[in-house]
Amino acid sequence: MWQLLLFNVTNGLIIGAFYVLMALGLSLILNLSNVINFAHGGFLVIGGYIAYTITPYIGFWGALLLAPPLTAIIGLAVERVLIRPLYGRDPLYSLLLTFGLAFMIEDGTRFIFGPQGKPVTIPAFLAQPLSNELFFITGYRLFMVAVVVIAVALLFLLLRYTRLGIRIRAGTLDLDTVAALGINVQMLRSLNFAVGIFLAGLSGVLAAGQLGLEPTMGTGLLMPSFIAIIVGGIGSLPGTLAGGLLIGVASGLTAVFFPAASEAVIYVMMAVVLLLRPRGLFGEEGMMS
Amino acid sequence: MSAEQTRKLIALAAIWAALLLAPYWMVPLGGYTALATRVLVLGLAAMSLNFLLGFTGVLSFGHAAYFGLGAYGAGLALKFVALSTPLALVAGMLLGGLCGAVLGTLIVRRRGVYFAMVTIAFGQVFYYIAFQWSSLTGGDDGLRGFSRQPLDFGAFKIDILSSANNFYYFVLFCFALAVGAMAFILRSPFGRTMIAIRENERRARFLGIPVERHIWIAFTLSCFFMAFAGALYALVNNFADPRGLHYSQSGDFVMMAVMGGMRSFWGPLLGAAVFVVLQDYLSSITVNWMSFVGLLFVLVVLFFPRGLLGFLQRSKA
Amino acid sequence: MNVLDINNVTKRFGNLVAVRDVSLSVAKGELCAIIGPNGAGKTTFFNLISGFFPPTSGSITFDGRDITRLSTHERVTQGMARTFQITEIFPELTVFENVRIAAEVAGGFRLRPWINRNEAAQVHARVEETLKLVSLETKTDRLVGELAHGDQRAAEIAMALALKPHLLLLDEPTAGMGDQETYQITQLIRRLHRDSNYTIVLIEHDMRVVFHLADRICVLDQGRMLAQGTPQEIAANETVQAAYLGNAA
Repeated sequence: MWQLLLFNVTNGLIIGAFYVLMALGLSLILNLSNVINFAHGGFLVIGGYIAYTITPYIGFWGALLLAPPLTAIIGLAVERVLIRPLYGRDPLYSLLLTFGLAFMIEDGTRFIFGPQGKPVTIPAFLAQPLSNELFFITGYRLFMVAVVVIAVALLFLLLRYTRLGIRIRAGTLDLDTVAALGINVQMLRSLNFAVGIFLAGLSGVLAAGQLGLEPTMGTGLLMPSFIAIIVGGIGSLPGTLAGGLLIGVASGLTAVFFPAASEAVIYVMMAVVLLLRPRGLFGEEGMMS
Repeated sequence: MSAEQTRKLIALAAIWAALLLAPYWMVPLGGYTALATRVLVLGLAAMSLNFLLGFTGVLSFGHAAYFGLGAYGAGLALKFVALSTPLALVAGMLLGGLCGAVLGTLIVRRRGVYFAMVTIAFGQVFYYIAFQWSSLTGGDDGLRGFSRQPLDFGAFKIDILSSANNFYYFVLFCFALAVGAMAFILRSPFGRTMIAIRENERRARFLGIPVERHIWIAFTLSCFFMAFAGALYALVNNFADPRGLHYSQSGDFVMMAVMGGMRSFWGPLLGAAVFVVLQDYLSSITVNWMSFVGLLFVLVVLFFPRGLLGFLQRSKA
Repeated sequence: MNVLDINNVTKRFGNLVAVRDVSLSVAKGELCAIIGPNGAGKTTFFNLISGFFPPTSGSITFDGRDITRLSTHERVTQGMARTFQITEIFPELTVFENVRIAAEVAGGFRLRPWINRNEAAQVHARVEETLKLVSLETKTDRLVGELAHGDQRAAEIAMALALKPHLLLLDEPTAGMGDQETYQITQLIRRLHRDSNYTIVLIEHDMRVVFHLADRICVLDQGRMLAQGTPQEIAANETVQAAYLGNAA
């Protein structure tokens, strides 16, 4: 029993880690630019397929290093060309545009790589389970969690101590004032978008090693990431972090006792949180209106 | 009567004439009556969404849920309760409308993108339920095993199952009822408070309008209309599809409204017509129709944000 | 009886005390002007009166009823109307439609999905009457967003008036106006006060306007009530001159 429990909690944490990476990227873009990036899952897929394409040449480690920045560059181009004209317009438009983009990315990858799943080879030593008892904890799973922890830590350090990070946080609170101080808001939004897409690309590479690749895999992660943001409190990055882990573990735990409800539980959590704390667990006053 | 009013009256007469005669002009143009019926139903859905989106200015991106609930409500009523088409419509409308009313209380305090996010997430709840609860809903395969019933007026019956024309006119009758109700509400004092909220929420509040309450009412009404359209859609297909509740379906509805013109009452119907015909055509010529639909979204947003009718007329309620 | 009684109201935002222990009473038919340097807390004070947010401490009584905890729209329903420093209107509707929404809400029709001929006629009459009062009767079918700044202001005031308020709050009614428009708005406020006997509280920077209109002037400085009195008393008050008038007028 304890093994099953541990198995599912671990599973939940790992899934939660993916939610966190996705949701943090979404959150960054949402908070600064007021854009719900529906194509975020699409960028995850792009990251994964880039890794798949370049692994044969430069190996898994090279792909892990290169795929996220390459994805971010694609994201930057998309932001420049397609999303930038929409800032300042009704958020409906950026929503619709990224929605259409998500369609195109999913269908495009299917066209290029085919609908079947593609495996990404991970280094052999990472594929080993830790022990016979803990057969479900492979080295790769630990490694994934470690990468996510490092990425999140770096993100928070970036936001806390670098000039870019401080500007992003200031812009989130009051973009007009930031613009009035002579900071290039367009550039800020682009870089912020790129950081968000970088995280999506990173999740893509990690997911590719764990689950294999499918054109639809990004879509499946999108909704839990939304819920992570809502549960954590829209506007709060620590909230998003907590929300992602929380719903990951909650659905993992539910899988032990009532497998059919393991997905439903995250929606129930969202409803409960919205009822009891309308601004989410970490939401701040004034963020909602 | 002013020139403007005359022009509006003529346009209105033209719209209704086109709808009344659709089976006669669509077929020669290469369409088929069932396509006209689908356009009508999806158009009603887009107009119901636009009741909220275009006239209250509140961005719901999860409205397909209420559409789908309407479809399941109608299907379940026909399958398990009674073989009655009117009952099915009422059941569908109540199921979707009441669910919308309850969830509405949780979301009316949010605005803009946040409203959109929460509506998407809650919409997915119903998709998820329809998908998982296979014993009742048929799960992934959708709800089957029911069909629309003849309209029984005691003295005589009207066959709407096998006669495509009869069914079209039945749907048109329902469409007229719903659209008439929407137009009536929009011209009322309540309807004008919706427009006030869209135009300037702060001003509306400082005129003494309890904005949240009014948004909740508009949201709920919109869900009822949406569910009514969904119930009709179940009758069109004799089938309810879980994908009808999915957020990508919501996206299609928003697209129809935007493409036709959010600020005009009839725009979403036009948008639905263009969208449905285009999707029909694209999926018949290429397997990559999803890319083209996606591209359509991108192009409309970038180059055509006010929609077809937004081009032609000023926004006036 | 006083229309408005504000008793020892304080508003804190974190460590910042925006309004500190301010009291103010406004008698029926009085026109009270609030002046003070930028950042004195005038707008926060106005927001407390109109219910943007509740005070940290203190109480507000309106028409003898405690409204300290009432929401904005409830205060409006009780008879309080306000305008904003940056005009808040429905730009894509006509002048008539703007004011009609206010008149319908005031008539208690806001939740009604229908309106009968009789009621519509009443509303119509109310709108016309109000528009005449602010001299917009020739521009009823123009879109408000296309009007000149002064006319937009007048339309906003008309919306407030259509609510039949017992108290009119005007936040810098002449902000951003040239001499001609300032003169017209000042005359309008004067008519509302003298002829129609409205009770008015206004924030204003233009001292000519203030001294021309006000029965009483309240001076806010750093969140506190520095002085209040008739225009003559304020003009003679040395503390006020030192703090404000000396370098602003």
